[in-house]
Amino acid sequence: MASPVADLSYRDVEAGGGPGSPGWLVLARMGWRSAFSKRAFWVLTVVGGWYYLILLAILYFIEQANLADETSRLASEFFGRIVWRDQFLHGFAFSHLVWLSIALLLGAGAIANDNRANALLVYLSKPCRKVDYLFGKWLGVFVPLCVAMGLPMLVFFAYCVLNFRERGFFDDDPLLLGRVLVLVPMAAAFHTSIVIGISSLFNQGRLAGAAYAGLYFISGFFSQLMLIIFLRATATPLEQMGSGQAQTFFYLSVDGLLTGLAKVLLATDGTPPFGIPARTPQIAAPDPWMALGGVVLVAAVAVFVAWRRIRAVEVVK
Amino acid sequence: MDVAEIQGLTVRYGRFTALESFTAVVPGGCVGLLGPNGAGKSTFIRTLLGFVQPAAGRGTVLGHEVGRDDLAIRRAVGYMPEQDCHIPGLSAVQYVALAGELGGLSKAQAVRRAHEVLEYCGLGEARYRMVETYSTGMKQRIKLAQALVHGPRLLLLDEPTNGLDPIGREEMLQLVRSISHEKNVNVLVSSHLLPDIERTCDEAIVLFQGRLRAQGRIDDLKRVEGAPYEIELREASGAFVRCAAEEGLQVLGAEHAVYRLRGDGAPEDTVARAFRAARSAGVQVRRAVPAVRSLEDAFLEAISG
Repeated sequence: MASPVADLSYRDVEAGGGPGSPGWLVLARMGWRSAFSKRAFWVLTVVGGWYYLILLAILYFIEQANLADETSRLASEFFGRIVWRDQFLHGFAFSHLVWLSIALLLGAGAIANDNRANALLVYLSKPCRKVDYLFGKWLGVFVPLCVAMGLPMLVFFAYCVLNFRERGFFDDDPLLLGRVLVLVPMAAAFHTSIVIGISSLFNQGRLAGAAYAGLYFISGFFSQLMLIIFLRATATPLEQMGSGQAQTFFYLSVDGLLTGLAKVLLATDGTPPFGIPARTPQIAAPDPWMALGGVVLVAAVAVFVAWRRIRAVEVVK
Repeated sequence: MDVAEIQGLTVRYGRFTALESFTAVVPGGCVGLLGPNGAGKSTFIRTLLGFVQPAAGRGTVLGHEVGRDDLAIRRAVGYMPEQDCHIPGLSAVQYVALAGELGGLSKAQAVRRAHEVLEYCGLGEARYRMVETYSTGMKQRIKLAQALVHGPRLLLLDEPTNGLDPIGREEMLQLVRSISHEKNVNVLVSSHLLPDIERTCDEAIVLFQGRLRAQGRIDDLKRVEGAPYEIELREASGAFVRCAAEEGLQVLGAEHAVYRLRGDGAPEDTVARAFRAARSAGVQVRRAVPAVRSLEDAFLEAISG
């Protein structure tokens, strides 16, 4: 049975966890390996930057047109309308579905599949605490999601730094990089917490994914529905829906909260995308405390649910 | 050296008491935890690992306090659960290496150990296959491998032969015996299958309805009270029975030409008197051994109180 190469003669247990990594890091590394080896992750990351890609193409052609005819006012008019930090808002907000897809791809099965395979019996029978497990799983989704959200933004930022300093890129908002670097982890943490919390409730990743997708779309649908009902009931003109009580309804959904968070952190109400004039008014940024509080509260509840659900064995009371 | 000491351990699931005032000392070596389904065997193991909080009592595992030093216990212990369990999406070597890393090994050491342990458990050829594709027997082996990879001083095996065919069961029992007797790892095997315990263990702890019913070396548990002897004759003989009675021996039972005799003196005195009776009866003695009962009989007696 036992091969001659089998050697169980040495022991490392007395050395404790000395040479090894902490449990959360082991689990996080496993999540990262799994995420970064998925082709779909990289495809979605590129797709998530679609707004920047189109904007870069527009910027490139306008620059070329300006080079060809320096008397043309096209470039000066375009750059006059462009608010740089709003491009980051649009790049982020227009890709909500992509961020959701990545969160589902990486996180829906994170705990649900472990529940199905009884893997918690393996994890928690090692010197790995519940907090290590949860934090490791959370980080395993959070970091790739940060990469997916942050990479297109940072590439666009770098391109603009190299090409549009004289077009007011830095003057617009000197703190823009800092704002982006806060927005990305906060948004990723929000998605990660919800998807991990939902995943812990199920025994199948697909069901957990369907539940989060359902929550996402249904909350979006109802927030829009409530907004319309409110506007009708109060006879508020469409031009005024971007402010006052009506705006609150806009942010009462998963993507609404994230958009609100982005507006708060980027300190903008937004301008039309691509510098094109829009017919509908921009929704004003929500109250910062409401946006931050909402995001933190939802994420905390989701993590708490996961914390309660994670156990090695089901104890029937 | 004793690997675990338990005093007055009580575990309740709501109103149901799974373990009640359970006190036992688990010695080193290979120890069987015997009991019918629902006796509290798995609960006992889970309590040692800190999965279940006891309502009362205390205990130590390898010198670490149960419920307080859970991480230290888990670092020193390997656990093979009863249920089918694995980490989804990993090959066998990735799975076992991950278990090793979680057990406190460095990554390089964990990978090396994973290969060794998989080879040892007879999964060397299948180590790069996804665990989901494994047969039941292979899944049992990989559960053992993940429990063994970080070099534990105590292995807790919960129903290790569950779902195995006769050949697989035989191989698993050989593995368990090899681990405990050749690799000197302390093993606590929980099972309701008496032959498994008899094959692998030196000692047994009998649990029934959450209470300790018997504990000791398996040879001692099987020993019949009063140290009787079994005398096998060439052929059945009524004269031998008569002569044995004249020698003051009590005939406890007879099956074909085998007689179970008990004397009131020392065991060697019983044998000497049996030989004198045989000589008087003119019959040939072919075998004289201390009488033992089967572990099943000992178990049934223990659980019947």
